[in-house]
Amino acid sequence: MIENSHPALQAKAITRIYPGVTALNGVDMTLYPGHVTALVGENGAGKSTLIRIIGGLESPNSGSLSIGGEQVSFSSAHDSQTAGISVVSQEFRLVPQLSVAENIFLGHEITVGGIINRRQSRKRARDLFEELGLDLDPDRRVGSLTVGDQQLVEITRALSREFTVLIMDEPSAALNGAELDRLLDLVRRLRDRGKAILYVSHRLDEVFAVSDAVTVFRDGERVAHLDTAHTSEPELVELMLGRVLEERMPQTGITNTHFDAMPLLEADDLACVHVSDPINLAIRPGEILGLAGLVGSGRSEVMRTLFGVLPARGGRVRVEGKEIRLDSPAKAIGAGMFMLSEDRKSDGILPHLSVLENLLISEKRREGTGRQSWVPVPKYEEGTYARLRGELRIRAESGLQLIGNLSGGNQQKVLFGRAVLSGCRVLLLNEPTRGVDVGAKVEIYQLIEKLAASGVAVLVSSSEAPELVTLARRCLVLYAGRITAELEGNEVTEANIVAACVAQSAKAVA
Amino acid sequence: MIANQITASSADALLKSSRQTQAAREAKAARQGTLVERFGILLPCVVVAAFGVILVPNFLSASNIANILVNASLMAIIGFGMTLVIALRGFDLSVGSTMALTACVTAMMVGTAGLWLGMAAGIVVGAAVGLFNGLIIAYIKVPAFVATLGTMAIIRGVALLITGGGSILIGDPSFGAIALSRVFGIPSPVIIALVLLAVLYLVLERTPFGRHVCAVGGRPEAAIDSGIDVKQVTLKSFVIVGVCVGVAGVITASQLGFVDGTLGMGLELQIIAITVLGGTSLSGGSGNVVGTFIAAVLLATISSGLNLLNIPAFYQYLSVGFLLLFALSLDSLRVRSQRRALLWA
Repeated sequence: MIENSHPALQAKAITRIYPGVTALNGVDMTLYPGHVTALVGENGAGKSTLIRIIGGLESPNSGSLSIGGEQVSFSSAHDSQTAGISVVSQEFRLVPQLSVAENIFLGHEITVGGIINRRQSRKRARDLFEELGLDLDPDRRVGSLTVGDQQLVEITRALSREFTVLIMDEPSAALNGAELDRLLDLVRRLRDRGKAILYVSHRLDEVFAVSDAVTVFRDGERVAHLDTAHTSEPELVELMLGRVLEERMPQTGITNTHFDAMPLLEADDLACVHVSDPINLAIRPGEILGLAGLVGSGRSEVMRTLFGVLPARGGRVRVEGKEIRLDSPAKAIGAGMFMLSEDRKSDGILPHLSVLENLLISEKRREGTGRQSWVPVPKYEEGTYARLRGELRIRAESGLQLIGNLSGGNQQKVLFGRAVLSGCRVLLLNEPTRGVDVGAKVEIYQLIEKLAASGVAVLVSSSEAPELVTLARRCLVLYAGRITAELEGNEVTEANIVAACVAQSAKAVA
Repeated sequence: MIANQITASSADALLKSSRQTQAAREAKAARQGTLVERFGILLPCVVVAAFGVILVPNFLSASNIANILVNASLMAIIGFGMTLVIALRGFDLSVGSTMALTACVTAMMVGTAGLWLGMAAGIVVGAAVGLFNGLIIAYIKVPAFVATLGTMAIIRGVALLITGGGSILIGDPSFGAIALSRVFGIPSPVIIALVLLAVLYLVLERTPFGRHVCAVGGRPEAAIDSGIDVKQVTLKSFVIVGVCVGVAGVITASQLGFVDGTLGMGLELQIIAITVLGGTSLSGGSGNVVGTFIAAVLLATISSGLNLLNIPAFYQYLSVGFLLLFALSLDSLRVRSQRRALLWA
């Protein structure tokens, strides 16, 4: 059926080599009008590189690109846009200081005699929002929008251009259920209007909901191209990983937790920003406590208050029984805490430093002996790296590689290593597997459990209920700044967590 | 399935309510932000004006006010260009030297090539220096601070070389008459400044180029992704600041009647001070040319007050320094107060 129509976009034998890494190795990609092609693959499989090449942000080392049968070569995003390609990028490429409407039309402003027509821009923006079923104010500054809304603006922006090919790079990452439904509906409508769509996503359920065909990338190569109707989730996962995924059994025992031991982290009536209820919690050595809640429930505020990033408005926090004044992360680390942030790119990794340096940055030097307590000793550092690389299963070519070139999962493992080396007794984790592929996810879960087993108290904040079910034996649920449920043992199930996250909200709204 | 439906509808409702509280917070933050912004710039204005009126005889005389406005206009004209490059998250330290060079070139050319050609030459030289800065910054990717620090020294050297270290007397009295002329009783330098203010306001706020400047200054990656030619935008912005400096140089030459290569020493600090004091954040992404003009008037008022009180000129350095610190503290205070309002509201 598809073979009859002419491809809207055809990429042939695209190869892109970065120093030390072959990101893409002779891949093909063909997009047809009125057809949704899904692209899946682990982090680091080369999806983003292909999108950057199609979007004109990078040039391939070899291979050809043709649009509507004509060979093209792009030297800037502008070239690609002129050729009829519109990209919804994964990272927010919006200017926080400009308004929603200004961002949507950035680079292709509506002008009259060289002057921007604000009224027309506002109206066009409203029309687009209406078409997408969105409720956004075109005059709001983008910097003041929530992450989800910013993502919607990003999508609107891509649709504001004339295009024949639409590339969507993980458009759903920051959307909630209702918004996601609308997005998928929109994709179908665009397909029916004859647009050629490339849909990149980590979430396989979306792939099955919306695509006609699936292309699988692994390690920079195209390993499969299948009709969506004739494949299955396990098959795709296997293709992505190149192996069968080991099944993860939820933990059964609670043997790790020392119930009689003194709690490592205690919070009494901690008053956090945007959270109306004072927070009380206690975590014992070896325990993994879950913190659930929708985006905006106050979850990340609680975490950041505990780590001293946000000021507490009252209450006490004790680590190993000693009360600490929480006014900076440095003090929290000094007291034996460590936090991995939810935004790995901006608050976690130091992208211009090597894996080794990223690993060792928070290390407690005082505990070393002799020279290494004062200055870095290469031999000793390499020893530490070699030991941790094995333990954490970091896949990097060498310790000197820049961390920015690693995949999300490997970056996260390095950050875990940083936490281990900081000698922390209390570990605060925010969305520990966000942007991490399926394979690395399992390894990270095992890592968290291993850390807990060694006596660390872990607090996991996550928007993914299955993640909390896998990890935690006890789980607090926040809704709109209140603790609405405390689940324990067998009560920690996906259904209970989801219900507590939203059932309360249904009541509150009604 | 049912659980999913509950999730979807109630999450939607929650999102809506959280959007509303967020909007309220943002509104409050914006109010507080603009309050600091306006209050900040008005406070020293009012204090200085009050002191001036009380302490200085003839402070409010027509000639003194005209004097203040002309001096303010000269600074503001350069300040408008500076506002543009700071919105671009750039910087221009070479404006003082460039003004000296353009004034000297104008003075030399007016004597030999005639009035109009001389003035045009001054502006062209300003644009050329801007082009040079822009090329180094946009294409060789030298940080603006360092690049213009270099050109600051180079251009000062050129200005001193072409004048041979001495001063140039402008013989043509019709050239001197330009700065002294009035239109409807308003000194023409003020008219020129107001026209440039209107033009640059329009350019910055209402043209694609102006929005691109803010986009490049606010988030360069977003600008690149939107198909904006960042190099072109950078280059054009620096040419514009060069033209502004050229215009100010020509007016200065006309006003003074004789010029030398040491003109405008330390001027860059004053210009940066009025730009930041006027509400243009050094972090880029937005520019406030109207604020720049108001701040220029403030600084000129202070200078005038100090002059009339016979306070040694050295104290004017102090006042500029303190104003610069005040403006920068205000800038970071503004960002913080906005952030705090977002937190606690």
